[in-house]
Amino acid sequence: MIKFKLGKDDKTILDYSDLAFIRKLTKKMRDPKTRFDPREFVSKGEDYLFNYTNKNVGSVDEKRRRFLKSLIFGIAAAAVVGIIPGVRVLVPPTVTVTSGFPKSLLVDSSGNPIKASSLPVNSPYIVIFEYPMTGEPNFLINLGDASGKPVEIPPTKVVVPQTGKTYDFPGGVGPYKSIVAYSAICQHLGCTPPYIHFYPPQYVGPAQLSAPEPDQLSAQALLAAKQAKVPALIHCDCHGSTYDPYHGAAVLTGPTVRPLPAVVLEWDSSTDYLYAIGAVGVATYPNGSNGIPSTNPTDDLSSSFGSPVGNKTVVSETENPFSS
Amino acid sequence: MSSRISDWFKERLGLDDLPFFRTPDYMYKVDYWLGALVAAAFIYTVISGLILLLYYNPEAGYSSTEFIINKVPYGSVVLYSHLYGAYAMIILAYVHMFRNYFAGAYKRPRELLWIVGVIMLVLTLGASFLGYSLIGDALATSAVDVGEGIISSVPGLSIFIPILFGNYDAGDYGRVLAWHIILVALIGLLFAFHFFLAEHYGMMPSRKVKDKVPAVYTKEEWQKFNPWWPRNFVYMMSLVFLTWGFILIIPNALAYLNGLPQQLNPFLNPKPAPPPNSPAAAHITTYPPWFFLFLYKIADFTSDVLVFLFIGVIIPLLYLIIVPFLDRTPYLHPLKRKVFVGIGILMITYLIQTTIWGDLTPGIQIPVSQQILVYLPPAVITALGLAVIRPKEDKGGMIKGTISPIMALVFVVVTSLFIAAGATFLANPTLITAGVLIPFAGIFILTTKKMAPVALRAEAQNQKVISEEVSRVPEWKKKLAEAMIAILFIFAVILASQLWIIPSTGYLSNLFGIDLGLIFLMLGEAISLYHYVVYRK
Ligand code: FES
Repeated sequence: MIKFKLGKDDKTILDYSDLAFIRKLTKKMRDPKTRFDPREFVSKGEDYLFNYTNKNVGSVDEKRRRFLKSLIFGIAAAAVVGIIPGVRVLVPPTVTVTSGFPKSLLVDSSGNPIKASSLPVNSPYIVIFEYPMTGEPNFLINLGDASGKPVEIPPTKVVVPQTGKTYDFPGGVGPYKSIVAYSAICQHLGCTPPYIHFYPPQYVGPAQLSAPEPDQLSAQALLAAKQAKVPALIHCDCHGSTYDPYHGAAVLTGPTVRPLPAVVLEWDSSTDYLYAIGAVGVATYPNGSNGIPSTNPTDDLSSSFGSPVGNKTVVSETENPFSS
Repeated sequence: MSSRISDWFKERLGLDDLPFFRTPDYMYKVDYWLGALVAAAFIYTVISGLILLLYYNPEAGYSSTEFIINKVPYGSVVLYSHLYGAYAMIILAYVHMFRNYFAGAYKRPRELLWIVGVIMLVLTLGASFLGYSLIGDALATSAVDVGEGIISSVPGLSIFIPILFGNYDAGDYGRVLAWHIILVALIGLLFAFHFFLAEHYGMMPSRKVKDKVPAVYTKEEWQKFNPWWPRNFVYMMSLVFLTWGFILIIPNALAYLNGLPQQLNPFLNPKPAPPPNSPAAAHITTYPPWFFLFLYKIADFTSDVLVFLFIGVIIPLLYLIIVPFLDRTPYLHPLKRKVFVGIGILMITYLIQTTIWGDLTPGIQIPVSQQILVYLPPAVITALGLAVIRPKEDKGGMIKGTISPIMALVFVVVTSLFIAAGATFLANPTLITAGVLIPFAGIFILTTKKMAPVALRAEAQNQKVISEEVSRVPEWKKKLAEAMIAILFIFAVILASQLWIIPSTGYLSNLFGIDLGLIFLMLGEAISLYHYVVYRK
């Protein structure tokens, strides 16, 4: 850098960039490819020099160019800095498999917990609560025998006819181990109550063959009930699928090829409260292509069905379909 | 300092000696660089796709899509922009192709370049269709079913179904992801070929310079132009970042628009539909992805699949591939190739018409009389119009718009988005709607500035090519451009700091995409201004 002494101020008259510019220019002038033509210069004067420098070295002086470049790099740096939080994309989130199910207390419409011992046995009413997502109804049934006494529902293995696979149904809960909960969405094409509902023992008989919708039973269903030696049924009036509530809602008659998923219940004997704590079976809606069900019940937790019900879910008696 | 670094790379990489096209001054306009825009969209889509690959599981298409959107940090930003990157690539590929079609860029010696390009378009559509199927929602499943139906109803083709999908009958689409990636890899390979061919021939010279085949500059002419490094690189970077900005901003902003009318859904909704077999799926009309709406409509014209395939796929494709050999005239001017220009105009018209028709009446059979009613008028108008217009014989008589077609497109899109965002804000003035409006206003202003012919970039002013005296851009404009770079820098820094406080998942997370897109836009804009200041004479 060449400096001038002017009093006590150092004044730069030529800094590095100017020097670089001059060096570049002189190099270009000597280069045979871009030789500077002095004759042109004499005839055209300054203009020629100006054009020449412009063409060969660039019109914008180094300092300005450097400043602009640094601004550009600054913006680029801002983009990079901005992307940094986005890099979290690369960090795998911890996968929560079954802990996705909430533990929900079953309450009535005024918010008071349901007492297990006060649930009527073999009630013809459609008793429903949403779990694990809003928009996913489930039956709550206190099962009994033909004379109306609660019966103990033991754990069983349930077969999925579609795939031949099995899963474990944990059995009933409550003081008599007679309370069960199943999805109220028919696994055939998704019919919901009142088309699908529980038929107490007094309605599982020939009289129902000619009953109006949604209470009709097919002859096939009656036969299947007899063969399976069960007093009561869950039946879907849409196309006639029948499920066995005493054995994990296993399939009794088609067209369905999947049992109803079961909600896993927990009974607190000290308070008599009931909790929903999970689900078993195939997912309520098959999410594989072509109707092959997912074997992962947590697929139910996908948000397309609503939002999680939280730590409470309301049990409601919607109607008695047999009243007429 | 930075010049020393760039010199270092220049020397190691031999950037000056690359066999890349040297570019004359007049070519620094978007219409000469449409291919770069397609490439930018392609690269963005590949990068975002590779990120998605870390999470996607073909065994559970829908739930992994939901997982990416809801659980992965900024997953929805990546997924939506991947989708729109593909959309952008398709649209830009069409624009790129038709622009070159009308410019006669398929002519000698560029036939091979053209054919490779057409094949790439087909591969792009195929890869997009497969990618769309990966979502596994009700629409994707029905689209796959329709595709499967078409394939299996052509005798002899059904053996391809297990090859394409895996065990389709058991509902296993496990191979779709693999094919998606294979097709993209093929596009990548062909792209490299296409790109080097293009660099080899150089860009098409303007008609005013060479109006006859072969439209290439000779090696001697090349030597006078600007070297590829660094000017082309700088210009290209500005286009790349602008493209990326739009790809990020548009879908992430659209994610905030709810309750779109059904007709707009196939074009504007980045979110997946409900899964198949859910009760909600029963309520939606199924339609294919928008870029196949035209095929979907043609399928309604006839019940014979072979006829459909001929009209919708084989004939147009065959035509595009052999057009370099059909059009043997040596002229490049569109009005001297009226038949081919007419066919081109009709292709565009029919493509748009049929797409909209397919959107309005999905899956409704159309009688032949109605088909004639719709398709005849454009043909007649085009034919009459072309018959009447005479090519001007005098040199340089071409009437050229001051804006490029792509800018016009961008402008229309941006303006409508700005208006929509403004309306949303007025109807519902919250922080979020304001957050959406402000960036849109910003883009709108930027675009308007680009559109204004008298503003900073009066690029098209001087069309005199390779002349000694070049009209100079006044110094004050350059100073203004410099000031704008500084302003953009300040805004970029502010936005970057904003980015750190946006939640990584949930409703607000898409603001990340919008803001990042804005920074990319600013970067692209700043580089373009830099190009203006440093290289424009
Ligand atoms: S939906 Fe229940 S039997 Fe068909």
